[in-house]
Amino acid sequence: MTIRLETREQARRLLIYESEAGNSSEPGASPTLRVYEKLRRNLAAFAGVAGFYSLASRALAQARSDVPGFSEARVTEDGTLQGLGEIEHQIDFDKGAGGKPPSEAGIILIARLLGLVHIFLGEALTANLLRGTWPGSALDDCKSEKGRNA
Amino acid sequence: MSTQGSVTINKLPTGVPGLDEIVGGGLPEYSFNIVAGAPGSGKTTLAHQFVFANATPERPALYFTVLGESAIKMLRYQQQYTFFDPSRLPDTIRFINLSQIVLEKDLGAVLEEITREVEKANPAVVVVDSFRTMVRKPQSDMDLQSFIQRLALFLASWQATTFLIGEYAEDELRDNPIFTVADGLFWLHQIAERNSIVRKLQIIKLRGQESVPGLHTFRITNAGVQAFSRTFGLTARKRNPPGKRRLSFGIPELDKMLDGGVREGDSVLIAGSSGTGKSVLATQFIAEGVQQGEPGIVAVFEERPEAYAERANSLGLDLETPQKDGKLSILYLRPLDLSVDETMQSILDAVQKIGAKRLVIDSLAGFEMALSPGFRADFRESLYRMIFALTGIGVTILSTVEVDESFTEFPFSTYSISFLCDDILRLRYVSIDGQLRKIMVVIKMRGGNHAKDIREYEITSKGVVILGKRLTEYQGLISGIPVHSDRPGPEESSPETGIEHRT
Repeated sequence: MTIRLETREQARRLLIYESEAGNSSEPGASPTLRVYEKLRRNLAAFAGVAGFYSLASRALAQARSDVPGFSEARVTEDGTLQGLGEIEHQIDFDKGAGGKPPSEAGIILIARLLGLVHIFLGEALTANLLRGTWPGSALDDCKSEKGRNA
Repeated sequence: MSTQGSVTINKLPTGVPGLDEIVGGGLPEYSFNIVAGAPGSGKTTLAHQFVFANATPERPALYFTVLGESAIKMLRYQQQYTFFDPSRLPDTIRFINLSQIVLEKDLGAVLEEITREVEKANPAVVVVDSFRTMVRKPQSDMDLQSFIQRLALFLASWQATTFLIGEYAEDELRDNPIFTVADGLFWLHQIAERNSIVRKLQIIKLRGQESVPGLHTFRITNAGVQAFSRTFGLTARKRNPPGKRRLSFGIPELDKMLDGGVREGDSVLIAGSSGTGKSVLATQFIAEGVQQGEPGIVAVFEERPEAYAERANSLGLDLETPQKDGKLSILYLRPLDLSVDETMQSILDAVQKIGAKRLVIDSLAGFEMALSPGFRADFRESLYRMIFALTGIGVTILSTVEVDESFTEFPFSTYSISFLCDDILRLRYVSIDGQLRKIMVVIKMRGGNHAKDIREYEITSKGVVILGKRLTEYQGLISGIPVHSDRPGPEESSPETGIEHRT
């Protein structure tokens, strides 16, 4: 199953936002892991830990087919992501690197997760839930030309 | 009892069409309610409708989900309903999952978490879905009762209107301490009747206001739950006094037989076997009403409105134009698992929409067949409620009913519903001179003088035409096999020649 362009763009924008925000707020964490963690907290609040775990496991399985480097990664019972192994280095490539493009592996993982949320909750509800976590500037209309070129 | 200085309980809209009427005008604000029923009975949907109807950004709704249906899947499916507005999540309506706490901790921790979230959000509405899954864990009844009482007290103090949703079987209703704490107890039933499913709603208790007792039909459509009050929403309306006007059939001779026409607000029954012209008479009645500026409704069950209008057209009666002008509505009530209450709601909506004064139900047999088998058993009782409700608001109802032609008796209806009707007009075949001819007679007319004449009629391209002769030379006409008498030939018919009497 391919990733929709809009979803991929949404993931990319969230990673860019966290990449820039991370310079000052949490310089130690990868933008991918920061986006993932915020999604975990957000989604687990209403879907439950088990609900998030199910979605994250499926997203990781899908991401593995795109990025074999995720083969060692796993989702723990509380929904956190562990065992990234070699891929962590690739994800770390953009750690705190404001202005640099996010890693492909990170985009795929987040896009896969967002894709599942889209499937189950629909775009409108997903967007509303994301707005509760990220400011509007991080979630500009990804369908717009401006959004694509950003 | 004095009400001076007594507390005012605000009533909140339930968001469920028809339910406000059933609960007595709305749900009491700050009440603690339990919605119980089997899985799939519509509990969650009902709660969602209440939430969407009452949550505001200032006073949001907190929807706690526990074990059971996954919140994600629940939202996925609930979004299909037209009342579900995703833009109101998560600011105005917040879903919070308590599964982990329920699994890992005790009821005290659950209460603590609910308290924390309520204090943070100051919600107007709180829902716990499903509350039953939370209390299935082994714990003493005292723990549970204490938990419920503390939860109810806390949420009322925080001015929240609460719904606890639970899967309960009906035999669990007795002696259950949980139910004694609740201010409102809503029970949703889903009953299989042969091949049909009938959904019923019962307000078992509702403190502080007068709800409509009994089982009320409800249906779940893409608009969510829609309830149909047993009283059809007409309890609050004042019954109109019996009308004095006489409504014409547009058939002068028949109007004369009816002492000038049907009394406004009457229930009229036209009974006869197949082909005797019941529908033709009904069509003439409704068409004449439209002609006189009285909007009408025709509820048909056996044929499509287009076919009905086309048949009327062949009699020279134009039903197309008044439909376009909003003076006439032909309702085709789909023949699948209908409840009388749903049918009534459709008719009432149409009556209110066009201000209908005349209603034709063509036919009662078709109506009965369109009902779910479970409702057929109560058909007479349902008819009584329907006729009482509609005539009470001044609508004149004309129903047709097919009766088996018998040559030994003269039945008015196979439904034994004649007591529901103010006026009965009987049509039948008779065998005369080697011909199958038609006769009509007014059997009953409550509150009016009617002719006793047995009149012959024909159905022509102009509809029912009553022939100018009273059949005096035959005896035993109503048996269908009259014998020629030795009396003089036919007389000219007039109301004066018929012996009139008051019934």
